[in-house]
Amino acid sequence: MKDFAYDVLVVGSGAGGAMAAYELTRQGHKVLLLEAGRNYDPKTETPMFRPNSAAPLMGTSTPDKDFGFYDSTVDGGWQVPNEPYTTAEGSDFLWWRARMLGGRTNHWGRYSLRFSEHDFKGKSRDGLGADWPFNYDDIAPWYDKTEALVGVCGTNTGLDDMPPSPEGVLQPPPAPRVPELLIAAAAKKHGITAVPMHRAVLTKPLDNRAACFYATPCGHGCSIGAAFQTTTSLLPMAQATGNLRIITDAMVKAVTVDAQGKVTGISYIDKKTTTEQQLSAKVVILAASACESARILLNSKSDSHPNGLANSSGQVGRNLMDSTGAGLSALVPALMDRPRYNEDGHTANHLFIPWWGHKAQANKELDFPRGYHFELGGRFGEPGAYVSGNLQGYGTSLKQQVRAHYGSYVSFALRGEMLPNEHCYMDIDPQVTDKWGIPVARFHWKWSEHELKQVEHGLKTAKAILETMGATVNELPSAEDAIRKGGEIIHEVGTTRMGSSSKDSVTNQWGQSWDCPNLFVMDGGVFASNPHKNCTLTIMTLAMRNSAWLADQLTAGKL
Amino acid sequence: MQKPTIMPNPNTTEHADGLTPAYTNHLSRRDSLKLLAALAASAMLPALAGCEPTPAAKTASGTTSAEHWPELKLQPITAKGYGKDPNLIMPPEAPWPLTLTAAQLSLVALLSDIIVPQEGQSPSASAVQVPTVIDEWVSAPYPSQQRDRLTILSALAWLDDEAALRFAKPFTALGTTQQLAIIDDIAYDNEQTPQQFQRIVKAFARLRNLVLAAYFCTPEGIKDIGYLGNVPIAGAYPGPTPEAYSHLNKTLTELGLSDFAYPVS
Repeated sequence: MKDFAYDVLVVGSGAGGAMAAYELTRQGHKVLLLEAGRNYDPKTETPMFRPNSAAPLMGTSTPDKDFGFYDSTVDGGWQVPNEPYTTAEGSDFLWWRARMLGGRTNHWGRYSLRFSEHDFKGKSRDGLGADWPFNYDDIAPWYDKTEALVGVCGTNTGLDDMPPSPEGVLQPPPAPRVPELLIAAAAKKHGITAVPMHRAVLTKPLDNRAACFYATPCGHGCSIGAAFQTTTSLLPMAQATGNLRIITDAMVKAVTVDAQGKVTGISYIDKKTTTEQQLSAKVVILAASACESARILLNSKSDSHPNGLANSSGQVGRNLMDSTGAGLSALVPALMDRPRYNEDGHTANHLFIPWWGHKAQANKELDFPRGYHFELGGRFGEPGAYVSGNLQGYGTSLKQQVRAHYGSYVSFALRGEMLPNEHCYMDIDPQVTDKWGIPVARFHWKWSEHELKQVEHGLKTAKAILETMGATVNELPSAEDAIRKGGEIIHEVGTTRMGSSSKDSVTNQWGQSWDCPNLFVMDGGVFASNPHKNCTLTIMTLAMRNSAWLADQLTAGKL
Repeated sequence: MQKPTIMPNPNTTEHADGLTPAYTNHLSRRDSLKLLAALAASAMLPALAGCEPTPAAKTASGTTSAEHWPELKLQPITAKGYGKDPNLIMPPEAPWPLTLTAAQLSLVALLSDIIVPQEGQSPSASAVQVPTVIDEWVSAPYPSQQRDRLTILSALAWLDDEAALRFAKPFTALGTTQQLAIIDDIAYDNEQTPQQFQRIVKAFARLRNLVLAAYFCTPEGIKDIGYLGNVPIAGAYPGPTPEAYSHLNKTLTELGLSDFAYPVS
């Protein structure tokens, strides 16, 4: 890189890192970006239109491909080869990683809901967790820009859980389908409103990305660029400025500092040669994912930073949060044997149920403090490795049972806000290192009553709506049994949280570490809380806002 | 792959089976020979140690047996999986070696066609390579498939044991009426399921689900079930058809939900 005079070194090419690279290069700053995984090109590698029958095991999930054969994740999933993580005794935690250009944006759900003032100021309201160090009005213009750049379909609903976007920013949502329309009506009878989901899927062309043609699950990746991923958008856009260089297969080991403790660059393992390399930089941005960035910081110990870099508060690795997750599904007899049509749509829910309980919570009518939403499932999906129904017998009558049950199950996926607690954190395992000799992350996890009561409420609500649809729902599982494992919803955030004081947070509102002014974090680690609304849109929005601020600092010569 | 030509039909007369599976080899590789001999002997006794005596239900073509189960000791599959970065555009044709014997494969093919026979324009399961998919499944190195391997290979062995007990022949050598007499006993899971069939009923259900899944994944199966997706749409997603809306509205009325209907433009 001797021929490339970069100012900023970005670690990670996912939602945060690619947005940082986009914004900085757009403003004329030269960026060198490191990605721990291999190069990846969705245009040539995405299995568009490939049927399950062409995949091994009908495309089903395996330990090699946890979300099915065609899931776009490369060299990752719940385990990355030769790069383990550990869990403390009594803790269950799952950590989804990818080792590919674009990171997890290649397969994410594309759900893109704005956080609201209500979300940013939870502690002011109920005394729990932490407030964010800014107001909704500060970030709203950046949500506008991010939504316009990323391309988000949906509508302004006027609901208190969904801040509006300016006219013309959102693209039109796709028409809802029969199971969703039936759920929406049943929910409405309970006073609960279903509305179009906001997703980072184009329904109109944008830049050189095509509109969705309503086929091929987004989790496979999207060769036409309709479903947002950084590899078809931010990264090529940043490269087109001539200000971005990318090194793949570069596993960052530590951030380096000089004798005074000032950040000087990074050291990384070149996976192809298995050699350790050093790079210097004026500014380092970590966007390797919340837990990977915290791992790098905790592994960057020096005389001036004995507890790890940027960790004078002791908060690095702490405040680890995921979304709560639970599901309930049932056969709806009224949906059996229904007329066929193409229900692929944009392959996720067209309608969802946003959190409706703001007033009830304010009136202290609920026994849990934070909200959740329901993602709705149920459609004529592509046949796969399992056939639903209480099937009996054989022959033509059996086939008729299968046809009758097809498309007659609906599901509610609860996704809720958890609060940080002292039992949920990550640190460095003192015994275990990965293939590259880097000490690995160790997870500690315990749900609190806040989450369990929320899940209990959600299951009861879903059951009531299902029964209104004529479904028979068995006895509900306990919340402890129903709640998914920590990390399993893949919304892990909070490990380098931002705040308004260096005493209890790792960065300021710009993602700039309190301890090292030329060190930034721009992934989900900076989240002060984890609202129920899926983290990626806000990761990108913060990365854009904070990179714009950083660009101003660089231009002004302040860093 | 050899394709059996049997079309299970209760109205057909019994016929000599054209398949000649290597049944002796198949049996010799299992540990159940001694068990089978014991069962054959005990079928004449009122009770078998460890089993409650069950009333012997007469069927058209044989007497049901007492409870038995082939305790297979399978070698673990040691082949490698397809890895964490397989080619998704051109998936591996043969990701791992197939392991079913010719006899097992013939039995799977026969069962597949009992489960999914030819029906009008829809071909039978074996005509669209379902047995090969089952072979790939039970030969896969992953934990879930290895569990299914034990379940399914046990079911196959049980069927031959049962056929031997009832009719003194391997299952594939039985006539259709005899085959269906056994299948009728194990294809229904309900309160009437006799104790001695409860285990095989669940194992058969697992095989049945795999056969159905493999069948409905194929282009022919997709046509049969009526999946109309995986085609590109130009312009906006059209949503439900008039017929589908009409069904929805009828449903909303029946459930008393018409007043709560989501506004559709």
